[in-house]
Amino acid sequence: MTKNLPILIVLLPLIAAQLCLLLSKIHRHVGRWIVITAVSASLVMSVIQLLEVIDKGPVHYYFGNYKAPIGIEFSIDTVNAMILILICILGLLTCLFSNEFNQVSDETIIGGMNTVMCLLITGLLGMTSTGDVFNLYVFLEITSLSAYCLIAMGGNKGVVAAYRYMLVGTIAATLYLLGVAVLYANTGTLNMADMSEILNDGEYDDAMLLAMVLFVASFGIKMALFPFHGWQPAAYTHADTSARPLIAGAMGKIPAYAMFRYLFCVYGTDFKYFDYFLKVLGVLSVCAMLYGSIRAIGQKDMRKLLAYSSVAQIGYISLGFAIGTPVALAGAFLHMFGHAFMKAGLFFCVGAIVYRYGKFSLDDVGRIYKKMPLTCGLLVIAALSMVGIPPAVGFFSKWYLGLAAAKQADWIYLAVLVVSSLLNAVYFFRLIEQFFINEDRNLSQIKERGRIEASAWILIPVVVCFVAILALGLCNVKIVNILLMTLGEVGLC
Amino acid sequence: MRKAIGIILICAALILPFVFFDVLPAIGDPASAPNSHVSDYYIEHTESIANSPNMVTAVIVDFRAFDTLLETTVMFLAGVCVMIILAGVFKTDKRIIEPRSKKMKKHKKGEPVFRGINKDVTITVLQPIILVYAIYVLFHGEVSLGGGFQAGALIGTVLLLDAMAIPDKRNFPDITKGTSAMVAGIGTFIYALAGILTLVGGGFFLEYEKFPWSVAAAEQHSIGILMVEIGVTLGVAGTIVTIMNAILEKVKFDK
Repeated sequence: MTKNLPILIVLLPLIAAQLCLLLSKIHRHVGRWIVITAVSASLVMSVIQLLEVIDKGPVHYYFGNYKAPIGIEFSIDTVNAMILILICILGLLTCLFSNEFNQVSDETIIGGMNTVMCLLITGLLGMTSTGDVFNLYVFLEITSLSAYCLIAMGGNKGVVAAYRYMLVGTIAATLYLLGVAVLYANTGTLNMADMSEILNDGEYDDAMLLAMVLFVASFGIKMALFPFHGWQPAAYTHADTSARPLIAGAMGKIPAYAMFRYLFCVYGTDFKYFDYFLKVLGVLSVCAMLYGSIRAIGQKDMRKLLAYSSVAQIGYISLGFAIGTPVALAGAFLHMFGHAFMKAGLFFCVGAIVYRYGKFSLDDVGRIYKKMPLTCGLLVIAALSMVGIPPAVGFFSKWYLGLAAAKQADWIYLAVLVVSSLLNAVYFFRLIEQFFINEDRNLSQIKERGRIEASAWILIPVVVCFVAILALGLCNVKIVNILLMTLGEVGLC
Repeated sequence: MRKAIGIILICAALILPFVFFDVLPAIGDPASAPNSHVSDYYIEHTESIANSPNMVTAVIVDFRAFDTLLETTVMFLAGVCVMIILAGVFKTDKRIIEPRSKKMKKHKKGEPVFRGINKDVTITVLQPIILVYAIYVLFHGEVSLGGGFQAGALIGTVLLLDAMAIPDKRNFPDITKGTSAMVAGIGTFIYALAGILTLVGGGFFLEYEKFPWSVAAAEQHSIGILMVEIGVTLGVAGTIVTIMNAILEKVKFDK
């Protein structure tokens, strides 16, 4: 049974999505509960898988028992085993969260929404576990299509945002495919490990350079790195409220992981132009960190503020890649986990406020802490974590990044890290000021249910994110050690 | 001017690398990497392992079957997306699209323009022929050209012709978009079921030799390929009907 763990983690949500519409015919909520069951089963299995990977080293799963490079391979190491757990938790929380939204009576639409949400989770899980470049493309397709749909479900503005994202995202997918074509023409294989071996043996510098440029552009668009981020603020802002935490929390991170995989695992540090790419990534991430933070300061809409903040936070992750040492990579991945929970948590809070009062604007939420104490508590913890206050995870990830930057004597990176954190403080304290200090707005509830807080389905995700931010911060040494088991071999020394 | 600069830059960025870097092998070079690294294995083992004389079918639904499962899921997903976006977001009235010739002739509204004896008869004659051809393509896909995607597209075409040619006179029962999306889901599930059965038999995912019933290994592969093709057919046909119904709900053609 344990030998099939890698596929079962991806397969269960896939089957749930396929059968969701059929089961929704029985009753409109049966489909949703099947999805939730499948994702929780995946969560349990991915935890077991992580323990196994820590114990016995990387796992390889060959489809149809055709050994790579003939067939398709899933390869799991400690890094993507942890990312799988992250996706499962966020997916589960978002499914629970969406219980309270979309209370339309048409079972086809409810079933369809759950199908699409479940396929988004499937796509993210598959992109993380696969070890085959074309398989990655197919999962990328599933992820993007379901994301377009979930963004378009957010109303009339959502449709426009989704259309823009679709145009840009299709170009990104095409660029990725072009890059794969260049590599395939030179190596004749689609398996990542096999490709890495062939590329390191022969003289393929030109082809590798061209392919990597295409990959950076394509994954840059998908993860909303600075000059490619144009689609992102509108898409995060106008996405469907029930799906927004998953989209903002997990969707931008997985392309970043894919980019890491190409740069460090497939190409490796022996690649002739490796340093140039790190420099380019470094410049882009520095711009992203400053630009995102400055744009976030000027926003009035909570969703847009958080979306621009995401542009900046993606910069931290790619900054870790740009420094390139194992510690920096560990910091980048710790930030990936931390930021997923922080941003998802903040969007859960926004969702809770929207659910009760239907307000998005920062000016409308004065002293809302009296009405929603728990939600505002999480909001403060997540905001402080974003700024980088010690017990929360944001401090530790920035600490590892700063440590690595100082060790490599990249003083500019260190300075930008500090400046960007201070800018974070500016806009998050503005948020906190609105929530706690500014005058009471006497908001009127749009839903009757819930005296003090929103209902339990909304509070569970809020509380889990709250716990996760603190737990990740307190257990950071353990997590970084697990990450370094894999990252120690691939980073710059 | 700004647009022109952008377009020139994009074209330059896309074309110049392939002009300056010589990264692609010559077309048809038998010694190039794509033609020698794994292709030889596929060519030599298609008959003996996959039991299919058609190499393309063997690669698509046997050696790399997992990719095809996901491609089918992409189709299904596209159908569901169109369905829920069109049903959920726009609250517009039904729009009537009128052909220009109709406007010129000032026909009475609601009276189809293209109706004629030929259309009434030919559609009815054509539909069974296309259906028979679809089934032929489905079952013959393992041996020669064709396969699930094509068969699904043909079945979809029959239903599409039925709904669009003469809206009043349907030869097939009306399938709602919810039902057709459900059928597409079931189709992709049949594909996944082939994988689950191999897992039950103790093998890897989509390892057809490990189906939990005992027949010769070559036949196991044939059964697996057939199951996959049927799943893909249902998935594609369901998706086409879903998209058609979702659009027809919003738009009326010449009636």
